[in-house]
Amino acid sequence: MKKTLAKICFVLVAAFMLAAPQGAQAKKLSGDLEIFSWWAGDEGPALQALIDIYKQKHPDVNVINATVTGGSGVNARAVLKTRMLGGEPPDSFQVHAGQELIGTWVEADRMEDLTFLFKEQGWMDVFPEGLIKLIGTDKGIWSVPVNVHRSNVLWYVPANLKKWGVDVPKNWEEFIKIAPKLKKEGVVPLALAQNWTANHLWESVALASLGPDNWDALWNGTLRFDSEEGVKAWELFGKVLEYTNPDASSLSWQQATDMVIDGRAAFNVMGDWAAGYMATTKKMEPGKDFGWAASPGTNGEFLFLADSFGLPKGAPHRDNAIAWLKVLGSKEGSDTFNPLKGSISARTDSDLSKYNAYLQSASADFGKDRVVGSLAHGVAANETFMSGFASVMEMFLKTNNAKAAAMACQQLADKAGLGK
Amino acid sequence: MANVDLKGVVKRYGNVEVIHGIDLSVRENEFIVLVGPSGCGKSTVLRMVAGLEAISGGEISIGDRVVNQVSPKDRNVAMVFQNYALYPHMTVRENMGFSLKMRRKSREEMDSRVQEAARVLELEPYLERKPSELSGGQRQRVAMGRAMVRKPDVFLFDEPLSNLDAQLRTQMRMELRKMHMRLKTTTIYVTHDQIEAMTLADRIVILKDGHIQQVGSPIEVFEKPNNVFVARFIGNPPMNILEGVFGVEDGKRFVTVGPSRFPVPDGKGDSLVDGAPMLVGLRPDAIKMGENIERLPKDWWCKGEVVVSEILGGHSLLEIVVDGQNELIAEVEGRVVAHPGEIVPIGFEFDRMVLFDPETTNALS
Amino acid sequence: MREASLDRLKAFLTLLPSIVLVGVFVYGFIGNTVWISLTDWGGSGSLAVDPQKNYVGLANYAELFTGFLAGGFRQDLVNAVFYSVMLLAGAIGLGMFIAILLDRKPKGEDVLRTIFLYPMSLSFIVSGTIWRWLLAPQGGVNILPTYVGLDPLTFEWTSSTKAVLEFNWQNLFQIMLYVAAFILILVGLWAFRNDPRKALKRWLGPGIVIGAFAWLGGSILPQALFMEETHGFNLATLGIIMATVWQYAGYTMALYLAGFNGISQDLRDAAMLDGASEVAYYRHVAIPMLKPITISAVIILSHISLKMFDIIFAMTGPDNAQTGHPALNMYLTTFRANDFARGAAIAIVLFLVAAMFIVPYLVSQYRQRKRG
Repeated sequence: MKKTLAKICFVLVAAFMLAAPQGAQAKKLSGDLEIFSWWAGDEGPALQALIDIYKQKHPDVNVINATVTGGSGVNARAVLKTRMLGGEPPDSFQVHAGQELIGTWVEADRMEDLTFLFKEQGWMDVFPEGLIKLIGTDKGIWSVPVNVHRSNVLWYVPANLKKWGVDVPKNWEEFIKIAPKLKKEGVVPLALAQNWTANHLWESVALASLGPDNWDALWNGTLRFDSEEGVKAWELFGKVLEYTNPDASSLSWQQATDMVIDGRAAFNVMGDWAAGYMATTKKMEPGKDFGWAASPGTNGEFLFLADSFGLPKGAPHRDNAIAWLKVLGSKEGSDTFNPLKGSISARTDSDLSKYNAYLQSASADFGKDRVVGSLAHGVAANETFMSGFASVMEMFLKTNNAKAAAMACQQLADKAGLGK
Repeated sequence: MANVDLKGVVKRYGNVEVIHGIDLSVRENEFIVLVGPSGCGKSTVLRMVAGLEAISGGEISIGDRVVNQVSPKDRNVAMVFQNYALYPHMTVRENMGFSLKMRRKSREEMDSRVQEAARVLELEPYLERKPSELSGGQRQRVAMGRAMVRKPDVFLFDEPLSNLDAQLRTQMRMELRKMHMRLKTTTIYVTHDQIEAMTLADRIVILKDGHIQQVGSPIEVFEKPNNVFVARFIGNPPMNILEGVFGVEDGKRFVTVGPSRFPVPDGKGDSLVDGAPMLVGLRPDAIKMGENIERLPKDWWCKGEVVVSEILGGHSLLEIVVDGQNELIAEVEGRVVAHPGEIVPIGFEFDRMVLFDPETTNALS
Repeated sequence: MREASLDRLKAFLTLLPSIVLVGVFVYGFIGNTVWISLTDWGGSGSLAVDPQKNYVGLANYAELFTGFLAGGFRQDLVNAVFYSVMLLAGAIGLGMFIAILLDRKPKGEDVLRTIFLYPMSLSFIVSGTIWRWLLAPQGGVNILPTYVGLDPLTFEWTSSTKAVLEFNWQNLFQIMLYVAAFILILVGLWAFRNDPRKALKRWLGPGIVIGAFAWLGGSILPQALFMEETHGFNLATLGIIMATVWQYAGYTMALYLAGFNGISQDLRDAAMLDGASEVAYYRHVAIPMLKPITISAVIILSHISLKMFDIIFAMTGPDNAQTGHPALNMYLTTFRANDFARGAAIAIVLFLVAAMFIVPYLVSQYRQRKRG
């Protein structure tokens, strides 16, 4: 009796063991997936939604959500560097699309070419051509963009403008004309926050001053920073600065936005994450409680930045990571993530009904405007230039010497090898 | 130079009274030694004179000025501490000149006074050294020099020699004495060492538990102690104290100690009546042996059994048992070789005997 | 004899692991950093598995001190000097003052001591965050006067762009000569009372000569930079200095208090009898006696001031050039701009500055031990 039981057991176990590998053959992913990003605070839910989609598709994969806080990824990038140099790369990491990725990691030959994935998933057709150009080099495509943000947006509260009797300036000349009036009212014409927002403002001003062709020429090395046009951009920036708040460097960007909301300031140039802040955190209705326009003089131009994820060479769970990238690039993933994050999809076929009024307008602009890369957010230039640019900005804020700043930028560009 | 007067001086720490109303007059130029066992309050008295401790009651005056409320620096007293209390970061010269610097004396005066003190104390070669580079004796002299340059009204010494080895202590004792003879500054000197007290003092003040036991010249306190405490405290080895009973027979006064009976000279214990219990005090050097007993009356003789004998060079110490029960320490001249158990004849200088009341332990006149 | 050599062998073997570890992980890496600072490792491709490094000599250092783009570093260096000086003066002065007050044994001395020492137990990040709030332009300290009916202060503690004591970096050599002359003359005046002739020959004379040279011949000195560049004491650093002093005054207080308690009562009595007032006691006896404590406090605090990073990060962020510090600059240059060689050069400059503080101390210690 006992022997029979043992036999049955043996047969059952053997059958199970034979069956098990068959299950695995059905391309079932398992193991870990470590995603490295700086989306911890307000952006956390958006990232979590993506992870949820992934977990639905691959329930056996244990997703490790490694986040390092710090605005614009300041701290995350440093941690990432130590991990990469230490030979311990995450499976996939967040990075600003463009030169921030290319200049640092592609040049260092530490990223995998994702062209095969783009072709396989048909992404070559759904992502705008200009965008693919900016996230790739002649050697390949290096990351999957998950969102698109616009940098050159001017924010205001329509009711307040009415009260002060001013219109939204179409260009900086208009702004400079109405600014003294606002000042007399005791209102800061343009709210500014700490250092990086000065860089952010600069790119909107410089784009207006240079025009999109010269802007691109600046970054591919055909237009010199110390040329007449370059100096002019700095001069205009200096003039604009005169109408900003003096305590800027001790404010966060949210506080600068608050100044506009509270009516202490008239305008603020900030990326469109400000829309998310006002709509979600401050519960304001887009178009009614707050208004927007392209920053002065940049109508028809879309200064873009994008978050993307790449695949480092030597990722410990490559298959899991590729599955993750597929989710990111998919329509489902994109349209789940972006409404939550307050950004628009990089895909041209996204379902606009899921987005709020601002995002719909931005999405429409993205489709028809001239798309150019942001400097302050890592698209246009590599990290060496960006970091040096912050010091040049500090120097300019202190001395207000346009010529010196332009010269310094050119030196920096030579050092960073812009356009090479 | 000044006299120092203490009138009913009391010191209390919280509710605990440690000095119980002391009266003491220190005359000008006098060298007074305060002596007593540790905890008797002698240092407290000194510190009160210096102004380092507040006075809880009574009055202290220096040179006819009441100084109860005068701060230490304005009393014009100088003090030498047991551990010297030299400023470790200053050279010898700076140490000695510090008080003058604080008093804003001119540089010339400072130099000449320090130089003078250094010459007297033979410290000239060491003027530029730090205290850590000096021997104990040298530090002691620097501490004295520091007190000297001030030319104070009163010198205060707080066990200044107790950190020195025996030889140096003897030498420094001499120097202190010479210094006082030369400077003639009023001095109050605290020590627990009765030899220092005996050798240095013009007058000794013996303190116990915050009370003065006796004030007197060294010979006075040695020969005529006020009580058993003083008798045992002053002198080394201490005075032998024997229990006895007074008696009078045939007009002859005597004291019975055990089975022996010794005569009591006239002028001692006049108030005693027959059968009164009493204590007999005998200095060890009042016990004679060998041919020295010949000079004593026969009835001052007796026999004793040697227990231990120690030869200390010039003289010897013997422990002797008389009548099999009374132990005595004898300090005799010369090298007395005696074997334990040996029965030897001994003699007592009864004219130096001191009688005490067993109840109060005070001396009987 | 054999016993002794066996002992030495044992001692050597016991020490060997730490010698090897310290050798590799401290001195080895210092050496490696020096080497990196002499290369051009940086820019694009610097994070490759096998990055290109070419020997460029002292180019990185020359760039830091005279280069067009390194103005930020130079301001940071000037800031570091002011941070050090102010932290030393503030923390030691305040700490000593509190210690003197507590040394007089007021009621509740032990509680007060704990209260004053407490800030030290906070991390710089925590105290930095607290102070950032306290020093916010429209809050904290600035609105204190409103509680007594006054107007609020408007000083921007951490974001002011004003600077005082400004100088032109071009005149670096001239300024250094002035400083040297000033110190020589100061020492000379101080020594004059003791030994006028020596003071004149050793200190005053050279000081006056150097000062006169710097004044008259300043124009023939080489200029450190090809263009005018002013640096000075940025008022925005005041907030950070306040926070740091607040944090470390308690520490120096504890050091001094321990020192004061260690001074025997006799010494204090002796000083009183020698005619010293309370002030004179501390000035002439207690504080000079605690010279070793002062020296260690100076060394520890100067090192802390050279490593200031987290408190600046917490209070004004990494990018605020007004309050920058070379240590912060080193981090940003290395890990944000990927300019590893330049970062290494900044590290070595900081290392040398730290050595300037500690080497004289070590030498004097060594000499003292040899003598004693």
